Amino acid sequence: MNKIDFLTRRNFIKGLGATGVVFAAPSMATAIAADGIHWDEQVEMAIIGSGFAGLAAGIEAIKHGCKAVTIYEKMAVYGGNSAINGGLFAAPNTPLQQQKGINDSVDIMVADQLKSGRGVADEKLLRHIASHARDALQMTIDAGAEYYPYLQQLGGHSVPRTYQTKVSCGAGITQPLLHECRKVGVTLQNRSKFEGFILTKEGAVAGIRIRYPYYFEDENSGNIVNIRASKGVLVATGGFAQNVNLRMAQDPTLTAEVGCTNAKGATGEAMLEMFRLGAVPVHLAYIQSGPWASPDEGGFGYVSNYAIFNFPHSIAVNCLTGKRFMNEIADRKTRADAELACRDAAGKPLPPIMITSYAHAKEHPTCEKVLKYGVGWKFDSLQAIAKRFNIPLQPLQQQVDEYNAYVKAGDDKQFGKSMAKAKDMYIAAPYTVVRLWPKVHYCQGGVQVNANAEVLDSNTGKAIKGLYAAGEVCGGIHGVSRLGSCSIPECMVMGMTAARSMMGA
Amino acid sequence: MMAMLLAFSSTVVAGETLVAQGKILGRSYHQQLYTQHKCAACHGVDKPSSRAPDNSCLKCHSVDKLAQQTARQGDELWQNPHNNLHYGKDVPCTECHGEHVVKQPLCKDCHTFKFSNFKE
Repeated sequence: MNKIDFLTRRNFIKGLGATGVVFAAPSMATAIAADGIHWDEQVEMAIIGSGFAGLAAGIEAIKHGCKAVTIYEKMAVYGGNSAINGGLFAAPNTPLQQQKGINDSVDIMVADQLKSGRGVADEKLLRHIASHARDALQMTIDAGAEYYPYLQQLGGHSVPRTYQTKVSCGAGITQPLLHECRKVGVTLQNRSKFEGFILTKEGAVAGIRIRYPYYFEDENSGNIVNIRASKGVLVATGGFAQNVNLRMAQDPTLTAEVGCTNAKGATGEAMLEMFRLGAVPVHLAYIQSGPWASPDEGGFGYVSNYAIFNFPHSIAVNCLTGKRFMNEIADRKTRADAELACRDAAGKPLPPIMITSYAHAKEHPTCEKVLKYGVGWKFDSLQAIAKRFNIPLQPLQQQVDEYNAYVKAGDDKQFGKSMAKAKDMYIAAPYTVVRLWPKVHYCQGGVQVNANAEVLDSNTGKAIKGLYAAGEVCGGIHGVSRLGSCSIPECMVMGMTAARSMMGA
Repeated sequence: MMAMLLAFSSTVVAGETLVAQGKILGRSYHQQLYTQHKCAACHGVDKPSSRAPDNSCLKCHSVDKLAQQTARQGDELWQNPHNNLHYGKDVPCTECHGEHVVKQPLCKDCHTFKFSNFKE
């Protein structure tokens, strides 16, 4: 079946609308034919979305001689979800690893990711990304991104390999990349919502339709503009964690009552449009919740990075029992599942707490923020913690003593946590405490791409001409559960890859 | 009532800024625009049917000056709403300030920051 047939079929399906599933996602977009169309604008490369992938692609495109590249951003502000993420960047064989004498390699990083992917990750793509992660890191540094002079070891990683921006946020990367884009001549346009593809007779993507100026959630705002993209279209629109109906269609437990760390624009309509065009849907049900999020603040907030930094030398305690209930640096899914099982006698959610020695917590700048904005608290004794969170004191005291013995021995007999990063870091007064409850964070699923960032057609298995995708909108790369700090390298590398593919580099 | 509103135009106080200007809400310091029916000043046309473009406010207000006025120090450096960590000086004014509707600062989506001088 060719693309034009597909158009007909889709319009037929559209006619059945009333009986179909109604998604919150607004007016249904449809692809239209390029024949005889009036082009309002013409570019070489059209990039949809201004997160890590889109910005990296823009810079890389100019580097390879692109004369006209525009990044279209749906929201009023640039950066998408990337601008509010944790700013954690994993890469093997980096200068900091060499400086610290850490033995790492592409193979070791890929092996860690395959394990967390539980057998269904895409090894070829993971290898491609890990092999170019250092170059992507360099692109951010060249643009002016600044990182702490140390590496973190995140859950599921076998060695410390994670850089973090000095502002503890992805904005420490998106802002420099955005400035670099403007400097090198990438055009940026906000309030520009993708409305659908424009196809040639042969079914190749010739351009896109954009609604401009678009005001988020006002679907009638703005006008439709037809944009021709002679070298191709890159969809870099991120995940769909904010689309409650769509995520519930995949996983009914992810109701509106479950929090979400994502920017509001992460609603997935461009991904759905690629499916309508024939892209292969992969792993849509693998939706990851962040086990380091707090029920005491909105979105990613401050606690997320605080907890990510402190988990290696902290204990997570079930308030009902006073006992640990997980390896604090297991992969995200393992921990999120364990936290969701923390409930009171009536089965209602009872967010567990994380206890950290203040002496260790204050080493990370987020500690000050967490205490200042009342989303974490300082205590002088375990008694005070037990009283505040209604925890049985004796088991709690026993647990802390037991854990401190594991620190001394360098061996966690309870949950097998890697104690290398906890050496000599005993849990001792004064303490800081935050509450934990998972929030929907990342969609492992999306469209299938190859190592050229080309979107594959479900009928032919071949690339859909003119269509590229990069970042969270792609699926299958990480398998069941993505390791923390592996999304930024993926977005950057695949964005750069897409730009090179389009420029024939 | 209108005379009282005019009195605020020189020294605007938070919470007293967004007031009814005849039939619609507007800012007390834009009183003249309402009195003289100058919708076009922001909307470009006298009988507007769509939002004013993002650069409308910037015809009179300077982002750089606003950023200076709301500058913060030390660990709050990047919590300056007019030059913030996530978006620098790029946030369109109407994302936080509504001329005809009450809005909340964008930061509130994720943070518990207090902006005591915020003008609704």
